[in-house]
Amino acid sequence: MAELENTPDFEETLQREFPRGAGVYEDSGLSKREFLKLMGASMALAGVGLSGCRRPPSFIVPLKEGVEWAIPGKFLYYSTAMPTRLGAIPLIATTVDGRPTKVEGNPIHPSSNGGTDGFAQASVLDLYDPHRKKEITFEGKATDAAALEKFLADTHAAGGNGLAILADGIQSPTRDRLRDEIERALPGVLWAEYEPLGAAETNAATTAAFGPGVRLVPDFARADVILALDSDFLNTSETGVGYAAEFYPRRDPENGKMNRLYVVENHYSNTGGLADHRLRLKASDIGAFAAALAAKIGGSAANLAASLPKSNAQIDDAWLTGVANDLLSARGASLVLVGNQQPAAVQALVLAINETLGNLGSTLNAVQTGRRPAASIADLAGAIKGQHVRTLLVLGGNPAYDAPADLAFSQLLASVPTTLHLSPFEDETSKLCKWSVPAAHYLESWGDVRTYDGTYTAIQPMILPLWNGVSQLEILAQLAGRPKPAGPELVRETFQTISGTSGEESDEAWNEFLRNGFLANSGYAPASVSLNAGGITSAFGGQAAPGGGTEVVFLQSSSVDDGRYANNSWLQETPDFESKLTWDNAALMSYAMAKSLGVKDGDWVEITSGGKSIKIPALIAPGHAEDSISIALGYGRKDVSALMQNVGFDVYPLRTSTGMRFVTGVSVKAADGKRYPLARPQETWSMEGRDLVREGTLETFEHNPEFAQKMGMDSHIPPEFSLYKNPYFQPHELSKEQWAMTVDLNICSGCNACVVACQAENNVPVVGKDQVIRGRDMAWIRIDRYFAAEPGTDRGDRIETQSADPEMLAQLITCQQCENAPCETVCPVNATVHSEDGLNLMAYNRCIGTRYCANNCPWKVRRFNYFDYNKRPIDELYWGPIAKAGMADSLKMQKNPNVTVRMRGVMEKCTFCIQRIEEAKISRLVKAGPTDKNKTPIAPFKVACQQACPADAIVFGDENDVNSRVHKLRKSKRGYRMLEYLNARPRITYLARIKNPNPAMPGAARVGNINSPDHHGHHGEEHAHAGHVPTGALHGAGEAHH
Amino acid sequence: MSDTTATLDPATIRANEEVTRKPLVLNQRTMGWISNYVSSIVEAKTPLWWYIAMGVTVPMMLMCFGCLAYLISTGVGVWGNNHPVAWAWDITNFVFWIGIGHAGTLISAILFLTRQKWRTSINRAAEAMTLFAVVCAGIYPALHVGRVWMAWFLAPVPNNMAIWPNFRSPLLWDVFAVSTYFTVSVLFWYTGLIPDLATLRDRCTTKLKKFFYGIAALGWRGGNRQWRHYEMAYLVLAGLSTPLVLSVHSVVSFDFATSVVPGWHTTIFPPYFVAGAIFGGFAMVLTLMIPAAWIWPALKDLITPGHVDKMCKIILLTGSIVGYAYLMELFIAWYGANPYERAAFWYRATGVGAREFYWPMMFCNVIVPQLFWFRWCRYNWIAVWILVQFPNAGMWYERFVIIGTTLQHDFLPSAWQLFHPTWVDICTFIGTFGLFMTLFLLFIRFLPMICMFEVKAVLPEADPHYGEGGDREALPELPSGSEEY
Repeated sequence: MAELENTPDFEETLQREFPRGAGVYEDSGLSKREFLKLMGASMALAGVGLSGCRRPPSFIVPLKEGVEWAIPGKFLYYSTAMPTRLGAIPLIATTVDGRPTKVEGNPIHPSSNGGTDGFAQASVLDLYDPHRKKEITFEGKATDAAALEKFLADTHAAGGNGLAILADGIQSPTRDRLRDEIERALPGVLWAEYEPLGAAETNAATTAAFGPGVRLVPDFARADVILALDSDFLNTSETGVGYAAEFYPRRDPENGKMNRLYVVENHYSNTGGLADHRLRLKASDIGAFAAALAAKIGGSAANLAASLPKSNAQIDDAWLTGVANDLLSARGASLVLVGNQQPAAVQALVLAINETLGNLGSTLNAVQTGRRPAASIADLAGAIKGQHVRTLLVLGGNPAYDAPADLAFSQLLASVPTTLHLSPFEDETSKLCKWSVPAAHYLESWGDVRTYDGTYTAIQPMILPLWNGVSQLEILAQLAGRPKPAGPELVRETFQTISGTSGEESDEAWNEFLRNGFLANSGYAPASVSLNAGGITSAFGGQAAPGGGTEVVFLQSSSVDDGRYANNSWLQETPDFESKLTWDNAALMSYAMAKSLGVKDGDWVEITSGGKSIKIPALIAPGHAEDSISIALGYGRKDVSALMQNVGFDVYPLRTSTGMRFVTGVSVKAADGKRYPLARPQETWSMEGRDLVREGTLETFEHNPEFAQKMGMDSHIPPEFSLYKNPYFQPHELSKEQWAMTVDLNICSGCNACVVACQAENNVPVVGKDQVIRGRDMAWIRIDRYFAAEPGTDRGDRIETQSADPEMLAQLITCQQCENAPCETVCPVNATVHSEDGLNLMAYNRCIGTRYCANNCPWKVRRFNYFDYNKRPIDELYWGPIAKAGMADSLKMQKNPNVTVRMRGVMEKCTFCIQRIEEAKISRLVKAGPTDKNKTPIAPFKVACQQACPADAIVFGDENDVNSRVHKLRKSKRGYRMLEYLNARPRITYLARIKNPNPAMPGAARVGNINSPDHHGHHGEEHAHAGHVPTGALHGAGEAHH
Repeated sequence: MSDTTATLDPATIRANEEVTRKPLVLNQRTMGWISNYVSSIVEAKTPLWWYIAMGVTVPMMLMCFGCLAYLISTGVGVWGNNHPVAWAWDITNFVFWIGIGHAGTLISAILFLTRQKWRTSINRAAEAMTLFAVVCAGIYPALHVGRVWMAWFLAPVPNNMAIWPNFRSPLLWDVFAVSTYFTVSVLFWYTGLIPDLATLRDRCTTKLKKFFYGIAALGWRGGNRQWRHYEMAYLVLAGLSTPLVLSVHSVVSFDFATSVVPGWHTTIFPPYFVAGAIFGGFAMVLTLMIPAAWIWPALKDLITPGHVDKMCKIILLTGSIVGYAYLMELFIAWYGANPYERAAFWYRATGVGAREFYWPMMFCNVIVPQLFWFRWCRYNWIAVWILVQFPNAGMWYERFVIIGTTLQHDFLPSAWQLFHPTWVDICTFIGTFGLFMTLFLLFIRFLPMICMFEVKAVLPEADPHYGEGGDREALPELPSGSEEY
């Protein structure tokens, strides 16, 4: 990130009014001239900006002279951030000749380790989405920015009575400031906030327990025993990547004390997959579990539990006792977390448990956000019903689609005389509103945000709004009676207040803020709190406990979130980690439940709750709680865009204000209809007894640290004798650098950040649902998901029918860059060859597409472009030459210019991000100048998947460099290479999973013993002790000749 | 039966029968009759059934070409191939057709070198069948690639980038093996045709025909010198072809055997593939020759029950070799204790498609040919024709099991996927039969399907010792009812 230091003043007013017409992009109507104009303009603005000057109205001409610091083709990096519901993901955006193409985590941000998540990676595609709303419309007719300005001025003039604003949940200090201004200037205005997956229940719980504005930030570094109740706390889209940075180092058995993770949940979440002990439990019984736990823990928690309503759900007492004892034995170093969609009463009880365990102030720290509470969407609905709202501005969100069903928000929205919707797409809500305004993407607008810990973070635009996008701040500023902001002045004002700077000092601080992306030491102030048990009892004591019967649990979709990414084809095609489902959601249920309903995967079920019913295909999910159905939200969007059409099923109709996480007492029955095709790139469950993922317990590891290297076939490898001296077996003689990778299976949760990052970095095309069903997805990197059960039930379909509670495993698979690559020998045209620095190269323009290499690849990582996926629309693939050719112009702007956009008929695969390797090598050459290049070290760089990984599970680097992390990790005792016996010599080393089971728990003997007993570690030892010829040729593998 | 036989004691009769060779041409056909009859098939007015047959096969062939045009213009995705199953019907059909193309050259070359005279009446048609099968086979490796227009990269053409093909790749060996085989087979077939083309030329009644046959006959006059050259050339080509018969399918099997895929990576493949190819090739020869003998009944004097009997025995032998190979694969999968290989064979035998492909394959290729142990099954031509359809189908199953089924399940269960053919897969494959049959119909219409001069050479009259009693075949008997010929 050396370029970061060179970032010049970035004070240009990118928001300045752009001449109409020049910025209008049509789906495919963007001429080259227009493109150059736009690019030229943004380059010019970026380059010649002088701070504080008002630039003359517009010069839209290509650059005549190059801008001093901009080298065509060289990337520039700027800090920014992507807002999430409860915080933000700090980012570094990569821009190429004025267009952002990729985002990475901001490694210097205090609430980041440089990782991102899949949503952040895919957000670049959203920016260039040709389906975005392109014009301001009033009553369906196009209008212009001046009309909108007039409308906002008129609204301001009309005063606050009858005015309501429904905003999304972004944690922006500038927006909070504008809200204050508006409420002062327009008394009577109703400010409501709504996030379908927000933290309203958490806020209610903390408000009752500690007072308003308090947030609890966990400190995983200090937590030895963690219990997660329906909490997917590793999900970065809630809280950013901050949690990850603290949690994952505590899972390293070679470095410090390993924590122990208990998870109680109804379906397998990513967090659940990493659990040492996991209990399947209905989401509606989490409250009962918490109450039973509180009773075991005793103290104030037990008292509170007694005062709160109870359901009579049965909890496994042995399990509960084991957890409670473990938590009690780690007082002050334990942590109990609960999902933020769980009812506030449950969350409050968990706060009490943590307090009793002495975790408050130790592993769970209270901070004061200082945010004033906003009205809820239910309050707003009440006001509309009471005819108190004449003008409603909906800023972000899509309440007509995702509001609780009991509010019937669509009808209410239609009943308000004047409505405005600011959103990226012409969606369900936009269609019902008088004004429809295109929202600027976060990469197109100035803004600010606080990350989960409160660090004040900058949002900088990377490009002018492509399609007349307007930001929330611009609308709110005008509503507050200010002029339309031309640049960052609104944010700058906030910055001055927060940083407490002014004048020249402020200029410097502001520049540093933009350069670093955050203001140092600006996190929320710690709050000293004490639990108000009486407050909790009075707030929630009167609430009824959840009823029994079958429940439906509403999940955040790993692909479309709450529906906001429904038009993002990268995310749609990224398989959900647990179900491996793409382009759809389904009713996840256990095998036993599916059997009792008489349905199989893809068969329809009808779910009725509160008089509403939906029809949705079933999908069997291993490890799912009985009598419980999980369905991802955000699908089933209709008439918004062609891409969203017929993708998944809408479950919002079942979701009500009182059942935001689950509804109970639903009736489910099998429904008629032809079996629905579900597109899953991986349809298998079991490892079939193969030692692909290797796992052991902490105890095994301590006694036999190299257990993973002697499993299965690896203990039978004969010594290799060959007269041929393969030069690639002494690679160190060929080139100074030898690239290699390690993947730590112990901390890979399967979050998919790497998968989407690879797609963004390497121009990987999307193929569509039909092609995924046919097995032609193009992902260069995939995360295999296996379920492991007791030996005997873990093969074939037995795991499905006989194992209700298997363990879930993740294994990242990409090209292993084998030194002795099976693919290379079989290519008849030498299109895939080996480089001297250890890469398995793919020469696209030499490849004729015999596909032999793919057949001979044991990892099946090679991807063949069966159609022109990059060129033809996914619904016209079979039309051949008569299909529309070429992709939307805006999408071309996203492509990484350093990576070939592959044509049809060509094999492709992971290259270890060769473009980044080459860039680093070229930089070294420049640096070395006339000196010996081998004496100049290569500046550290990361490959795309590694950079995106919030867990730091992927390590890439030069194996030859004895100081590199990859060199050390490749020598880790946990390290093993897959399919060692093939002698392919992969350059990827996997670090075995280590579990930390509690021997007192039921089923503890099974934890960490997923590998088949007939080929386990001690088997290998026997061979080693048998004293046969030791091998010299193979390092790290089996030590004996069988 | 002549009277002399009746006076001999049964032991003598048996002894006589044992040493008496069955005549290769029945009914005491003369040299003149052979020329007249075989030529008359070509010279006669085109029969109606030929037009009807072409009316079926030509549209099938055009369907094949249409599918291939769609394939090239749109992408390999029009087939059902997917990610683990990168080869499916394309290479299955390639191996299927190239296997069929083995019998012809085997009959022409190996049986020639081993002096098996019975080959003479079937070698021409069998060789033609070989060529047409190789044409059908060649479509697949040439057009299954993603960028057909770049397929010339396979050829070792010196170029300014100094990139050569990868000589380590079995696919490249395939290119050389198949193209060499095709070239040598064409030369061999054409060389063998020259004297007969000259016969046709000499019998022509129109100038146009005479011109074309004359060009094709390359000025053959039948002189002593020409015969000497001819025989030497034919012997050399037979010598060249013989190793090719064995090498082509061995090399094809290397595509699989040299890979690391469990179920492919076995050393048994070369002999197993060669035996399978001969097995399937002879089945196809019988499939074509028996109907030909029904259409032209007098051909039964040239293609005799003895011929069919011998071919059935070859099918029995090679079918047993194939059956041994199947069982040995299973045994080694168990005995080898490699869990991946074990799983691959277990999947073949019990997984998806086991009932549709694997067990039908076992039935068709191992069980059914065992019926040829029974003499009745070898001599009843209707039974023979029905029975050889099983190897024809069985050999396709075998190739699909080896390619499609195996690729569905290899090392990582996460990558497992099933293969489903598309309509393009099916129509292309059916279309290749159209192409094959069209070429064969053209062949029997315009070229002599029996090698006239070679058959004449196996007549008793051609034996210099004919009539001297030195050779027991010199006492042909007229079967009853033969007067009508």
